[in-house]
Amino acid sequence: MRAAALTFFMFVIGACLARAEQPQIEAHLGKGTQLMQQELFEAAANEFDQALAVNPSDPRAHFQFAVCLLSLGRNDNARQHFEQVRKLAGESRYLTYYFGRLDLLANDYASAIRWLASVVEDPPFPDVAFHLGVAYVSSGDMSNGIKCLERAAKVLPRDYRVHYRLARAYATAGREQDAAREFDLYNQFRDEHKNTETEARACTTALHSQSIETAREVCHRMFDPNDPEKLTLLGQLFGDAGAFDDALGPLKRAVQLDPKSFEAWHNLGVTYFRLQRYGDARRPLETAVGLRPEFYGSVVLLGATLYMLGDDDAALPVLEHAHQLNPADSQTKDVLEKLRAAPPKK
Amino acid sequence: MTITRRRFAELGAGTAFSVASKLLLSQGVSTHSAKPLPRAAPSGRPFNAHFVDVAHQAGLRETIIYGSALAPKYIVESTGCGCAFIDYDNDGWMDIFLLSGTRLEGAPDGATNRLYKNNRDGAFTDVTEKAGLHSAGWGSGVCVADYNNDGFDDIFITRFGQNSLYRNNGDGTFTDVTKTAGLLNEDTRWGAGCSFVDYDRDGHLDLFVSNYVRFSFEHMPVPGQNSSCMWKGIPVQCGPRGLPACRHSLYKNNGDGTFTEVTERAGIHKAPLTYGMTVVAADFDEDGWPDIYIACDSTPSLLFMNNHDGTFREEGLLRGVALSDDGVEQAGMGIGLGDYNLDGHLDIFKTHFADDSNVLYRNDGKAYFDDATISSRLGVETRYVCWGAGMVDLDNDGYPDLFMTTGNIYPAIETRLPQYPNKTPRAIFRNLGKGVFEELVSHAGTGIASAHCSRGCAFGDFDNDGDIDILVINLNEPPSLLRNDVSGKANWIKVKLEGGKSNRSAMGARVVAHYGGKSQAQAVLSQSSFFSCNDPRLHFGLGNISSVDLDVYWPTGLHETFSNIAANQLITIKEGVGRVGNRGWSK
Repeated sequence: MRAAALTFFMFVIGACLARAEQPQIEAHLGKGTQLMQQELFEAAANEFDQALAVNPSDPRAHFQFAVCLLSLGRNDNARQHFEQVRKLAGESRYLTYYFGRLDLLANDYASAIRWLASVVEDPPFPDVAFHLGVAYVSSGDMSNGIKCLERAAKVLPRDYRVHYRLARAYATAGREQDAAREFDLYNQFRDEHKNTETEARACTTALHSQSIETAREVCHRMFDPNDPEKLTLLGQLFGDAGAFDDALGPLKRAVQLDPKSFEAWHNLGVTYFRLQRYGDARRPLETAVGLRPEFYGSVVLLGATLYMLGDDDAALPVLEHAHQLNPADSQTKDVLEKLRAAPPKK
Repeated sequence: MTITRRRFAELGAGTAFSVASKLLLSQGVSTHSAKPLPRAAPSGRPFNAHFVDVAHQAGLRETIIYGSALAPKYIVESTGCGCAFIDYDNDGWMDIFLLSGTRLEGAPDGATNRLYKNNRDGAFTDVTEKAGLHSAGWGSGVCVADYNNDGFDDIFITRFGQNSLYRNNGDGTFTDVTKTAGLLNEDTRWGAGCSFVDYDRDGHLDLFVSNYVRFSFEHMPVPGQNSSCMWKGIPVQCGPRGLPACRHSLYKNNGDGTFTEVTERAGIHKAPLTYGMTVVAADFDEDGWPDIYIACDSTPSLLFMNNHDGTFREEGLLRGVALSDDGVEQAGMGIGLGDYNLDGHLDIFKTHFADDSNVLYRNDGKAYFDDATISSRLGVETRYVCWGAGMVDLDNDGYPDLFMTTGNIYPAIETRLPQYPNKTPRAIFRNLGKGVFEELVSHAGTGIASAHCSRGCAFGDFDNDGDIDILVINLNEPPSLLRNDVSGKANWIKVKLEGGKSNRSAMGARVVAHYGGKSQAQAVLSQSSFFSCNDPRLHFGLGNISSVDLDVYWPTGLHETFSNIAANQLITIKEGVGRVGNRGWSK
């Protein structure tokens, strides 16, 4: 959901280009986004708060702050900031979605249904039908609830939460066979989730305590050529342990399966970079930056990659953006000064 | 300063991989997390219950030894134990039984389970030695009932190692009959929850025992050794995740003082392996046969529905009491059973770990449950590790409240994470009616607000003054005895059942009290809360209503009704006979 929220972040960015002279805001937003990625929501909220102190009418800051506050369970505050976004940037499907979620959390099922039903045909996020189904079921409208949850199960076929809710709805409606089928699916996907968890723990332990040959054997138990999330995780575990050659295979497969996965592209770019294969790193990092232009880690690495490839003209604007996102990075600043001082290439 | 391309590349090489999955963050006992819901404005209504800890003046002064108070090395030091209100001498006054633990280096002086006799003057006398109940070990749960129908309540306790059955001899002493009763385990088990239950309705109380984890000191990893031994990045004692889960056990009472294990025959063995905790046995679907619910830690909680033929089917998932609302296992600890919405059906309140909310399941009367945690406003509290649980009317206003004990399991972390203190207050969620609760910590007396590392608790009226007092286990401290000093003029009634054809303790009986247009269900239980046993006299607050009608559903199927019973008294009802005299009741 947070990843998709950045799409809206892109949507409102146009409204703020005129304020690109405000490097402080960019820095706070960039850092806040990065902290949210690490699930450090309190620290992220502090960054967004500081961004708003610089410019209280920046809708991006209000939006990111609101999403962050929602993650912290501070729903009333989140609602206030979403309202601010509406005042500053107008209505959007993203806001509608969040107002629906907030009303659902507040047990205001009728309002949640109104919000979510209005975007279910053109959903900003894949879980709209799921939340709408939950709202219907909670309001006692089992028939519409089941319809929405069935729709959610098609959109999110591997999400155990959806199958659990659908199974419970079927059971309540007395549809025992349907309930049993959905409980089976719930068990299957929940077990897969838990198995991945167990395998990831074992892999991490092996990578840090055993030879790479043994660890490779343990870690490849979680290799699933058809599951991009597992493949990305496996690549990350190898990469975190410095086994970059081993990380490449899972990550390359992951981006094939899910070309919209920021995590997979970013991790693949990092892996190539760490292997000093700068030519190979360029495209994954460009894709990652395209998906999340405010994620400092990807931007600065793309700049460094271009710089290492000798493409200084391409590196300059990327590193300038990186510097905006994180002005405290003195190395980037030094390189920028060097690039700006260099005579233009013929 | 200048920077070379190579140097910049080296710096870029420090770029981190993106966190791709929450899977890497989940560890320890906490399996599910929930953000606290916003709190509603205070109701401003007075709360007429007021709790004072009178343990010291009542003579309950011995420390409950349980593992290391500062840095437990193994999970067996952390889970703690329960307690019981038991009238072992049939004098009409609740006596107290406290479980205890030991220490890794061996049992220190004073480490023993304890029986305290009620002196009927607000004080208790330690009669442990005289009663023959001195025993040290890693105690877990206690359940109390008259398993041999001889008129005296017996005690069953669970432990890591070997559980024990103590037969009440009727003369103030007990005999450990574990072996002769056929309850000796061949292997080492960690017995956890237990309940006496007449599952086949033959009039003899059978016994259900949950097991927690397969544990041995020899094979246990040490704190920090793997991801199951870390919590929020800090090394802690390992488990339960990462440790083998268990099957649970059912023992049939042969009617001659012995039991036979029927776990397989009854279909209990078909259920998934779980980390079993507290066990309650009650008739959830109101078909006249007792069902069994087990709170499970970090695994789906189990609901065994009675097939009426000596077997059970596990349907926790189907009936909505296995998981959180989003389909994730929770760290189930304690269970409160009662009827919070006064619709005549038994609802379930289950306590969990910190960073998660406790759960309230609303029963539709056919044992299909809805998760009412959010709508009841229970979800505002996620700060504490919660254990003992009760759904009891603390202020006698006619609406059952919720009570919970709290206390962390990682005492060392508070120095690094002060938001997770080891000792924390108790909490009350007072029932405002219409299915909504309001949390009270500092407005219900010092006994509630005082911080301890608590575990089990039992609810009962130790001073026979017409309200509910609370006995609480505090680890490595003396227990708390929270005397309830209710103000105001609210009425109440207590109901004591005595089985005739049914088991003499009437375990599993359900009583529905009708007053002022409300219907409140309660059940006679040998265990609930966390590993604990309540006063068997069912207590109903009545508010300003002065009489009550009662429906009594006996374990063997008999349904009796009693009309227009005056408030503010204990009544004893004998199955098939009607009202009989109270034993030893002073009011």
